[in-house]
Amino acid sequence: MSADGRPVVRITDVKRTYRMGTVDVHALRGIDLRIERGEFVSIMGPSGCGKSTLMHILGCLDRPSAGAVRLDEVDVDELDDNELAEIRNKKVGFVFQTFNLLPKLNAVENVELPLIYAGVGFDERREKAAGLLESVGLKERMYHKPSELSGGQSQRVAIARSLANGPSLILADEPTGNLDSTSGEEIIRLFQELNNKGITLIIVTHDQEIAEHSKRIVRLKDGLIVADEPVNNRRRAS
Amino acid sequence: MINLFEPLKIAFASLLVNRTRSLLTTLGVIIGVAAVITLVSMGEGAKSFILDQIRGWGAGTNFISVNPGEADAAVPELTLTIGDANAIKTQVKNVRYVMPEVVGRGRLRYGKKEYTPPFTLGMTEDFPYAYTQKVAEGRFFNKAEIDGRKHVVVIGKNTARKLFGEYSPLGERIKINGVGFIVIGVLEEKGTLLFYDMDDIAYLPISLTEAVLGTKTVTDLNVVVIDEASVPQAVTDITRLMTRRHGKQDFQVFTQQGGIDMINNILNALTGIVSAIAAISLLVGGIGIMNIMLVAVTERTREIGIRKAIGAKRQDIFLQFVMESVLITMSGALIGIAVGTLAAWGIMTWLKMSAVIAWGAAYLACLVAFLVGTFFGVYPAMRAARLDPVEALRFEV
Repeated sequence: MSADGRPVVRITDVKRTYRMGTVDVHALRGIDLRIERGEFVSIMGPSGCGKSTLMHILGCLDRPSAGAVRLDEVDVDELDDNELAEIRNKKVGFVFQTFNLLPKLNAVENVELPLIYAGVGFDERREKAAGLLESVGLKERMYHKPSELSGGQSQRVAIARSLANGPSLILADEPTGNLDSTSGEEIIRLFQELNNKGITLIIVTHDQEIAEHSKRIVRLKDGLIVADEPVNNRRRAS
Repeated sequence: MINLFEPLKIAFASLLVNRTRSLLTTLGVIIGVAAVITLVSMGEGAKSFILDQIRGWGAGTNFISVNPGEADAAVPELTLTIGDANAIKTQVKNVRYVMPEVVGRGRLRYGKKEYTPPFTLGMTEDFPYAYTQKVAEGRFFNKAEIDGRKHVVVIGKNTARKLFGEYSPLGERIKINGVGFIVIGVLEEKGTLLFYDMDDIAYLPISLTEAVLGTKTVTDLNVVVIDEASVPQAVTDITRLMTRRHGKQDFQVFTQQGGIDMINNILNALTGIVSAIAAISLLVGGIGIMNIMLVAVTERTREIGIRKAIGAKRQDIFLQFVMESVLITMSGALIGIAVGTLAAWGIMTWLKMSAVIAWGAAYLACLVAFLVGTFFGVYPAMRAARLDPVEALRFEV
């Protein structure tokens, strides 16, 4: 737990309702969650349990229908679209199941994207992006397009991109879902390394084995948290 | 301060990915701009060609022409006389030269050779001074020879060649329509004036035209005043004098400025018509661009979602797409300018004239293209900027 006691995430009674045709779908029905700095949390649950919705709300991509969201001491439900974009840019790093790299840009250009939107000049961002790629072991692949990279490599580029602006929180949505087990293991090891350096991580997964690499598992069912417990025999990625 | 350079770079990169599509999209703009540029370049070229010809002939801004016929007459009544010319020369202030022209056809005969040049003209002694017309050999006739009705003739180089080959015609006796003349001068070559060969011509004293050419009708009357500043007063005076002599205004007075104005008017009218067509072309092109930009926004929904997820603001996405649209139209304009200039140059070279690069029209084309790109890019860009990031990320192509 964090020494200063200020949580990275604090959400209170968050609800999210979609309207599909004439039917209201209650994706989240009252979630309370507090995540401290330096935590490594897995969010688990069957499909349709609301974990993606929670992820979008944590990442400021979506707003709750009701409830309060506090991210790194900022009440995000009071922010306008541009301010939310800035939060996504500076405080949150996304890692997606399908990597979501821009296919026309090479690895280093993809990593530079968040820096462009943060207004960082060319020389500085190229240097920073190159450094990040080096830290995920892809320095020699800097100028390769995503189509020339394996799945594991693409996901490492995406992780480098998520780290670009030094976020308070990394959100990973099924980060190993499109990878073979070896590549998946590499990604999880990378996450553990990042967490060891103090980075707060939240991963959404339905894979119990993956979740056991984290420090805490939050289980969702039908839009509610049904279990929230620490991982006792934590797995180490080889 | 919004940074415009980054979205510009992003837009440019996107444009290069779809080169063929971008080019086809902007075809309407290319055609519209090329049409205007071609016409304006050709028009400017034609204008400077005509003006150069007039100046080369020596007709400067101190020239005034009096043409017969009332202003709205379809077929002018030829009422100008040699007497009018004399009256202008003696009674109007600041007049330096007066050249009435009596145009006729003369069959020239030298020995057994016969040749009829396109023009045989009755002229006054002022001719070589008023125009920058030099006499290559011999001399022009003088006032005494006109008054004394001397049978002397001055011919152009080409007419001389036709009759005498490479021999000097000076002092040779020829017959014009059966009347005996002595060649006293050969004019220096002048080339063509508005497609007439000015070197295939014969000049004889105006006092002899009735006897030799069978006409004394003055087809037009050119007056040269001492300087440009004297032109307006001279025009007024000539008009008053001639109206008094004829009892009505059955003639028209033109100045060089009037001629230049007329050429300009014709060119402006043509440019106006083509510009209207180009405007329609640009409008259709603009709608095409809007359409393709809407397609691009849909195709790149996921890209927009990714960009938004990592921190792109609405304005970042908006600028990216507007700039892409502007870049498409601007490249269209640049290609259109290049194509139009090349086309004008090709046509004008073929017509043996030179094209003038229409810089003004080119700048205007760029400006219009910029406005079209902006205008038709705004709606698709707004659609892109407003996309919901979650929806956009979920989008499958």
